[in-house]
Amino acid sequence: MRRHFALSSPETSSPAKEPSSTTSTPKALYPKAWGQPRSGATPGQRMKVYRTPKGFHKARTRFRLCNPFGVVFSGRLNLGWRRCAADPRLLDVTPSAYSPQTSNTSDPVNEGRCRHAVSADRLSPSLTLRVTFGRVIRRSSWLCLLATLALIFVPSPQRADAGEFVQIVHGKDAPAIEVYAANELADLLKRAYDDVATDVDDHAKRRSSVTVLVGSPKTNELMSLSFKNWPEVSDQGIVIRSREDSPVYAVGGGSPAATLWAVYELGHRMGFRFLPRGDIDPLEKKSSIDFSKYDVVLEPQLRSRTWRTINDFAIGPESWGLEEHKRFLKQLAKMKYNRLMLSVYPWQPFVEYEFGGVKKTTALHWFGEEFRVDGDTVGKKVFRGAKVFENPDFAGLTTSAEQHAAGRKYMQGLIEAAHGLGMTVGVSISPLEFPREFQKALPGSNVARQLKELTIAPSGGNGPTDETLRKLVTTKIRAYIETYPELDELYLTLPEFPEWDQHAEEALALLKKRGASPELSVEKLVKTARNRDLIASGQRGEQAIRGNLVGLAFFAEVFSDGSLLKRKDGKSVELFITSVDPALFPVLDQVVPKGASTLNFIDYTARRVANNRELLADVPAKTVRSQLIMTLADDNVGVLPQSALQSLGTLTAEIKQLGWDGFSTRYWVPAELDPAVYFLSRASWEKDLTAEASFKELWTSATGNAAAADRLWIAWQHLEKATNLIDENNLGFTFPVPGLLMKHYKAEPIPKWWEEANEAYTQYMIELYRVNGAIEGKPKAITFYYAKRGEYVLEYLAAVKAVREAAIAKKAGDTEAALEHLEAALESTYNCINTLSDVAQDQSDRGVIAVLNKFAYRPLLAEYEKLADSVE
Amino acid sequence: MRHVSARLAGLAALILAGSFVVPTLLCAEDWAQFRGPNASGIAAESKNPPVEFSEEKNVAWSVELGKGVACPIISDGRCFVTTMTEDKKFAVLGFDAATGKPLWKKEYDVSKHKLPEITPPNEHASSTPASDGERVFVHFSTIGLIALDAKTGKELWKHPLPMPFYLMGWGAANSPIVHGENVIFNLDDDLSSYIIALDRKTGDVRWKKERPEMLGGYAVPVLCTANGRTDIVVAGSGKMKGYDPLTGSERWSCNSLLRTIMTTPVVQDDRIYITCQSYGDTSRVLKFALLQWRDTNQDGKLAKDELEEAFHKKFDKGDTNKDGFLVGDEVSAAFQSPTNMAGGGNIIQAIRGGGEGDVTKSHLVFNLDEKTPSNIASPLAFDGRLFMVKKGGISAAYNLKDGSKVWTKKRIGNFGNYYASPIAAGKLIYVPGENGNIVVLKAGPEVEVLAKNDLGDSLIATPAIANNRLYVRTLHKLFCFAEEK
Repeated sequence: MRRHFALSSPETSSPAKEPSSTTSTPKALYPKAWGQPRSGATPGQRMKVYRTPKGFHKARTRFRLCNPFGVVFSGRLNLGWRRCAADPRLLDVTPSAYSPQTSNTSDPVNEGRCRHAVSADRLSPSLTLRVTFGRVIRRSSWLCLLATLALIFVPSPQRADAGEFVQIVHGKDAPAIEVYAANELADLLKRAYDDVATDVDDHAKRRSSVTVLVGSPKTNELMSLSFKNWPEVSDQGIVIRSREDSPVYAVGGGSPAATLWAVYELGHRMGFRFLPRGDIDPLEKKSSIDFSKYDVVLEPQLRSRTWRTINDFAIGPESWGLEEHKRFLKQLAKMKYNRLMLSVYPWQPFVEYEFGGVKKTTALHWFGEEFRVDGDTVGKKVFRGAKVFENPDFAGLTTSAEQHAAGRKYMQGLIEAAHGLGMTVGVSISPLEFPREFQKALPGSNVARQLKELTIAPSGGNGPTDETLRKLVTTKIRAYIETYPELDELYLTLPEFPEWDQHAEEALALLKKRGASPELSVEKLVKTARNRDLIASGQRGEQAIRGNLVGLAFFAEVFSDGSLLKRKDGKSVELFITSVDPALFPVLDQVVPKGASTLNFIDYTARRVANNRELLADVPAKTVRSQLIMTLADDNVGVLPQSALQSLGTLTAEIKQLGWDGFSTRYWVPAELDPAVYFLSRASWEKDLTAEASFKELWTSATGNAAAADRLWIAWQHLEKATNLIDENNLGFTFPVPGLLMKHYKAEPIPKWWEEANEAYTQYMIELYRVNGAIEGKPKAITFYYAKRGEYVLEYLAAVKAVREAAIAKKAGDTEAALEHLEAALESTYNCINTLSDVAQDQSDRGVIAVLNKFAYRPLLAEYEKLADSVE
Repeated sequence: MRHVSARLAGLAALILAGSFVVPTLLCAEDWAQFRGPNASGIAAESKNPPVEFSEEKNVAWSVELGKGVACPIISDGRCFVTTMTEDKKFAVLGFDAATGKPLWKKEYDVSKHKLPEITPPNEHASSTPASDGERVFVHFSTIGLIALDAKTGKELWKHPLPMPFYLMGWGAANSPIVHGENVIFNLDDDLSSYIIALDRKTGDVRWKKERPEMLGGYAVPVLCTANGRTDIVVAGSGKMKGYDPLTGSERWSCNSLLRTIMTTPVVQDDRIYITCQSYGDTSRVLKFALLQWRDTNQDGKLAKDELEEAFHKKFDKGDTNKDGFLVGDEVSAAFQSPTNMAGGGNIIQAIRGGGEGDVTKSHLVFNLDEKTPSNIASPLAFDGRLFMVKKGGISAAYNLKDGSKVWTKKRIGNFGNYYASPIAAGKLIYVPGENGNIVVLKAGPEVEVLAKNDLGDSLIATPAIANNRLYVRTLHKLFCFAEEK
């Protein structure tokens, strides 16, 4: 049998068999801006030649190839060339140079399912230069025929099942983050579009209907060749560009990290919503890739978007293993957070140092608390047979040496993971606190006022010029910088409860010597500190400002030697001073070490800070780079679901207006933080974005249901109301420490606000279940998680109330009633923990369960049994 | 010859040893459907089931499974369970009931169709199989009813059924039973409730009866023989109905139930006992629930897009003024039968079987309005008492004869939720809690806790008892417990 292939123009075939009508992605194959016909074949003939606005020439024709088996291959031939100075690499990135589709006319179901694409230019790029159109056509026809034959007899795995093939090209020597960005883009495309195949490489391959260049002109040469007018952006600037003449897009930025953010920004515009613990994919997969509407150039409104981690309680990230952390960090990168702050405590096992013959041996977690999770532990199914609750990277380690080795590995892992995502990493320490074993090395020091009294701190015996103290602090700081030689930042936290306030006058004098205004007086500062509406006011305010002055004077001395911050590679870590007293804000530039930035803590909750937001204006943000600590959820409000979203909205708007550099988060349990973390991520780039707009946009996009988003907003308002009630009335209501529940076991009247908080949480839960019934997919799972946590809090509040009622009954001598109330409290406590365990999804959730067992359920059970025994 | 004798002696020793190691099931007791014989929860032949057991103690065998909440069943020496395996695969598994040896596994890829919405703790593998010894029958929401060869797991027939829909998104969890030559399956959902009988050998439809008055519910059919006649009895929204097993024709209806029925009745002698709690009081008809939970924007009326597409026909039926909303009684008209506007509340009822027509007045033996029943865990009629347990581990018992109280509101020492139902064997009552604790009570006129056995995993499925062995399917695992001899 003679095999016969015929090339024919589409005009000879039925319009019904027009290949472009059967393709699922015609838009991507035939870009919108081809320009007007210029010369070449006359209309109606096989080839049309166009000149594009960019000076390119394009030719295209349609053809049909028939073989004796009745299979028809038809398609459109697109050719592109530049009249002069064509660069073969440029041709690499011209997509769909040849993009016929196969259509098996005997099988209409499969019509258009397979697409072959090959670049004729690529096959012989020199042919496209300095030749007449006619020669191009003739030679291309042969090339076309050859290429088609090749495609028929050499099947490509990509063409077999890929509706659209996207070539993602990063630079030849692109930084690892840009390569990662390119792969992330490939992943997002496959999740957002039907039937898409992708290839990621440092050069373009032949067959692609869409090409995306990733990087910047500095890291990807093709960018500069294809996008002449690349905008000037900062190292954080994001650029998404498209060509008018072809589906070639550029996704990049002013740095590799910015390029990664650009990919995620594109993902956001594709419909993804990135949240701390996972993505919400677009509601429906789209069929055609077209990014031309996404041309954007973005610069952040807030340049420092810092995520704090580790901290100090089992309910917080101190319990997260490295792998869990890494997953979280990836989500943070998607939300364009650019700094990681490792907030560590002196008793933790993350650094070892020796001073004055004393070696650091203390290596504890969670203030040394141990949480048994076996036996009678309520909700123990979440621990899957473990005996004690542990950070998985420290499980079973007993000796100080083992703990410290694991601690170093853990921190190093975090630093590497964050750097791999383009984040800088800092460590936040309390430089003036040391484990108890150092007391003999620091004469005059006192045990610091902290939980479990695990540390010592300088006191009246150690002035701001104390040499031993200076050496000890220097040793500690160097230990961090040398143990973690890739650290980018060092945050030094001034003490929360300073006890060396006796030296305030001397300290101020020292500061004045170093340039502080002579007008400053301790008396005036103390007056300001005493009379403000912050937790640190009155006596505590006075102590805070006095201690602050001594600490700052001490730092001024210590950091007069610039070598202290030098890394092994000769670079210096950036110094941040944390928690400078707000009374010193107006003179911040005069009291912090030269060149240091500040991370400012004003009060424990975002609501309190928002109420005192006039203090923000005191900070000379233009001369001292300043970040604000944004408390997303406070440990004093505790283990209950909480939201500070609206206060965060107020604060974000304020610091943007005042020109602050950014923020750093503060939280322990990430459970209800999704909207807040999302808001901060978007508001950092959008000038006027409000919390409400961000919230509604998030949930409308995620659920496709605007009414559901509205109800969720109402739910969040109830949640914030409840949070504020706790904050206003009893900060520390569920602080995760011993006495958590039994501190309410006292015969006092039941406060009115308990009922108000209960009602707010009830409405919160009802709205969540209401929304849950109206939506599907991942948002449904998320709202179910929130709703169950709403149930948990109601059970907890019932337990608190029953405990109070038991105490009242006991005091009244009605032991039987007291027992009944305690039994009710036990059941509610049990139910609250059990409800949490139904939906626990991370180590923080498990940590809350461990904490509630230890500090709520077991003490309550012990009291119940004691009282029951007394009756018997 | 000496060698032969020695070999025979060795063989005899092995056989003897084997008889201790692997108890033979010569007179095999079955627990071949949800809650065993006639859903009673009683293993009559097991006199010495285990009292104490745990993940380590008295474990005859155990296997890891995927997620599932359907009960294990025992039939002809085999144990059958269902589970979800990997991603979106539904599986039925057969084990040797004595040894736990896997016999077969039949998997269905259920990823092709969107699985229905479910509300935890429900899972997709929720239907308890039933077996006639030769076949295993099981329902899956997107497949329908399946019959598998009990020995090999080979599919014998498949009968597609419409996917159930629930206004509150609970998800499917209905289970078949076997009676005579038929497999009986009742499915009450919020779209099109029905009861169907299929030939157990061929899967041919013997009869099908629509139950248009019914809302979503999960009662398993039970058999009641009275006046020399056996009826298939099904509890549903507002009504308990008796059907002719041969034709499916409705013989009687007792219109004394509540709106939502998730419990299964139990039968003793000629009486059917049901205990149930349905949210709210008697005035809480369906429209209040819908307006509270499905009216997403809380404008006081239901819009079409506030409901799944599956309900749009019903929506149109109720939208009498065609304004695109269901308001007030239109909500009821759309979803709840005007002849069956049952509300919420609590009931403990005994109904005499064998009636004809409306037996509400003639056959209702007692009807107690006590706050003791669970909304999900079924009662246990055992040792002359109707025992029940609800959230918090609060138990109650009433005399079967007249409904008089034996005790109420007595805790069994295990807080938490109760989804699985109590079962009994010998002189023991087993009360499985969702928290993975199974409390063992001594049957008697008072609450006497013998043991609290912790299995360390969520427990939704009612365990099975057969041949003095207890089979427990936790969320991730199947255990067989037996007292060590």
